[in-house]
Amino acid sequence: MELKYGFISADDHVQEHPEVWTKRMSKAKWGERIPHIEHQADGTERWMVDGKKADLRGVALAGAAMPDRAREPQRWDEVPKAAYVPGERLKAMDVDGVDYSVLYPTVAGRAGETFGSLTDPEFELACCEAYNDWLIEEWAAASPRFIPQCIVALAPIEATVKEIRRAVAKGHRGVVLPSVPMMLRKVPHINEAVYDPVWAVCQELDVPVCFHSGATREIQFPPYEGFTTEVAAALEAITRPVSSVLIVANFLYSQILHRFPKLKVVFAETSLAWGAYELELADHQFERQRINTEGYDLTPSQLFKRNCHLVGWFDTTGMKTRHHIGLNSILWSTNFPLGTSTWPESRKAIARCFDGVPENERRQVLVDNTAKLYKLA
Amino acid sequence: MKIKHGLISCDSHAQLHKDNWTSRMSKAKWGDAIPQIRETTDKSHMIRASDKPVERWFVNGKVVGERGTVNCPTAMNDPMRRTFPQRWEEVPAFVYDPAERLKALDRDGVDGEILFPNDPIQSATMLQGDAEFELACVQAYNDGLAEWAQVSDRYVPLALIPYLSGVEAAAAEVQRAVKKGHRGIVMLAEPSRARPGFKHFNDPWWDPLWATCQELSAPVHWHSSAGLRLAIPRWRGYTPNQGQAYGPSGGFSTQAQFIPNLLFSGVLDRFPSLKWVCAETGVGWVNYVLETCDHEWERRHLWTQGIVTRPSEMFKRQIYVDFWYERAGIELRHLVGIDNIMWESDFPHSTSTFPESQQFVERTLHGVPKAERDQMLYGNAMRIYHLS
Repeated sequence: MELKYGFISADDHVQEHPEVWTKRMSKAKWGERIPHIEHQADGTERWMVDGKKADLRGVALAGAAMPDRAREPQRWDEVPKAAYVPGERLKAMDVDGVDYSVLYPTVAGRAGETFGSLTDPEFELACCEAYNDWLIEEWAAASPRFIPQCIVALAPIEATVKEIRRAVAKGHRGVVLPSVPMMLRKVPHINEAVYDPVWAVCQELDVPVCFHSGATREIQFPPYEGFTTEVAAALEAITRPVSSVLIVANFLYSQILHRFPKLKVVFAETSLAWGAYELELADHQFERQRINTEGYDLTPSQLFKRNCHLVGWFDTTGMKTRHHIGLNSILWSTNFPLGTSTWPESRKAIARCFDGVPENERRQVLVDNTAKLYKLA
Repeated sequence: MKIKHGLISCDSHAQLHKDNWTSRMSKAKWGDAIPQIRETTDKSHMIRASDKPVERWFVNGKVVGERGTVNCPTAMNDPMRRTFPQRWEEVPAFVYDPAERLKALDRDGVDGEILFPNDPIQSATMLQGDAEFELACVQAYNDGLAEWAQVSDRYVPLALIPYLSGVEAAAAEVQRAVKKGHRGIVMLAEPSRARPGFKHFNDPWWDPLWATCQELSAPVHWHSSAGLRLAIPRWRGYTPNQGQAYGPSGGFSTQAQFIPNLLFSGVLDRFPSLKWVCAETGVGWVNYVLETCDHEWERRHLWTQGIVTRPSEMFKRQIYVDFWYERAGIELRHLVGIDNIMWESDFPHSTSTFPESQQFVERTLHGVPKAERDQMLYGNAMRIYHLS
């Protein structure tokens, strides 16, 4: 590990370029179903996946690098290169003081959910394989400062496990899994033992499972139709991270961590500001309902501190409550290039949020926790 | 209200007597639609199937509440809080008899209670049948609860509003209820999600209701997720007890999403002295709302989009939240603002601090200066409900 700035960003997004899938998937076999960009009648461009428009507010999500943050690129020629060209991304990281960057997708879903709603498992898997190959070939190969994470098909589980093994062997360091597969298509609830082979392989390979916020809009309060675009975008940026509360609460009660005590879990783009409260609440409910008599040997907060992580990027209360959340469980990020990102002023945000935090604790959150999780030697 | 114990619960639940609706509504007119308790052997009416007949509330012929006759596990002398009474005769009198309940308050060291509904009232229970039926049910509730305030000034009743009769009728019911002693209203957070065709909360169509509440100094209350359920499917593998523990553990996600909508809705600037109480919220996550809303407001210049006042200023001016067990949130109290934080016991629900409220207070407020404690534990409630 080489540190120039002293900051590993645990949650950033790659923007898939127009040929990620068309170059890697068989046109003869999949034809127009392959993810690609299409011109729209209104002059904009949109990603099409399996014949349907992808659920994005532009042809890319790169608000932070756009002249106007509230406006996502509507045509590919407007997309800032730092979003999709690895060499340009490295420069953007230098501008913002970022040594390493953990990568999440965009077109494949902020939380890797796009292909999860497809109903054809073979096609779903082909899309995931293409993304995973591309990220290694074009990003990981460009610089060791990129930490690639694979996406996976939701079913059948044997295929999911096989792809995780294949991707990790190729160099992926984490597994991006939509937190609510059962809300994407007709598959079992995430708590069901049918997913155990997924947790088992991640535990065995020692790669974190990453649940990024925004896997479904159904748990986000929809903006009022009368809002302007700017207000609607602001509200979405507020509701998405806190919708992860539901995911964390369920996960801590799910018993998955009882069966897989060494599984590492990241809840990304959550913010930290509600973390201490969620742990207190889950423990309070645990105690009020005397759940310890029902085979749970650890409280939700103990499980969380042992296995889980939240990712912050702007809030000042997170570090004030760091000892409630657990210093080992906090990661930091820039969220580049999403509209909510602190880029290019992440240093300022860090100075504000870590004001008064001792140097060793600061280093732990900004570097050590993420380095350990992704095994950066 | 006299303060002896130094504690007002700003979120407790009043169970009205089983005859409240049958005794106040015309049997000739409404027949069996009237809210009432009936015996049933239908296992779909029971979370834990029983071969013995049980009693359940029925409203408009439909069962409400499959867990038991009344939601009062804290009052059932079961440390597991698993027991819900299955027949009315099993319900302790101190849950529904206001005179008996005063003794329970003294036992718990609580001076007074702001009263939200209990069975069979859930967020939209009365929102069924036709407008006349709904209004009759709502008025019977408001009349029944107003009688508690006559038993003792330690009870502060909150009124329900009708939805099907239009906004003017809702405002008229608020006028009527406040004359009878109610100090505020309880309503849905997002009516348009409760029934197709209803106006969105942000729509100025609701303004006459806000105007009336502001004029009467009657705060609007959203209890818990206030009928707006943003949730992931519950795993069927949870035992009832685990489900009961898990359910509320993610609940504030919904509140943390609709309070930002309130802040961006324009309602608070149109009605700047109207108070909004969000009950059963907790405090420790509220800084998330304040930080993100201010952050987005600044970054996107939302003052150019009609949101004139900084969101955290609007919050401090008009919105109130409750705590009951947390410590980390109390450490952050000055970020939220101690003028905006109140205490609750949530009696008699499962999360309640009853009968150990005073111990919870000692634990959560350890080291907090007395003036701040008093303000959060009862002072703010005295001020906004005009209890002095």
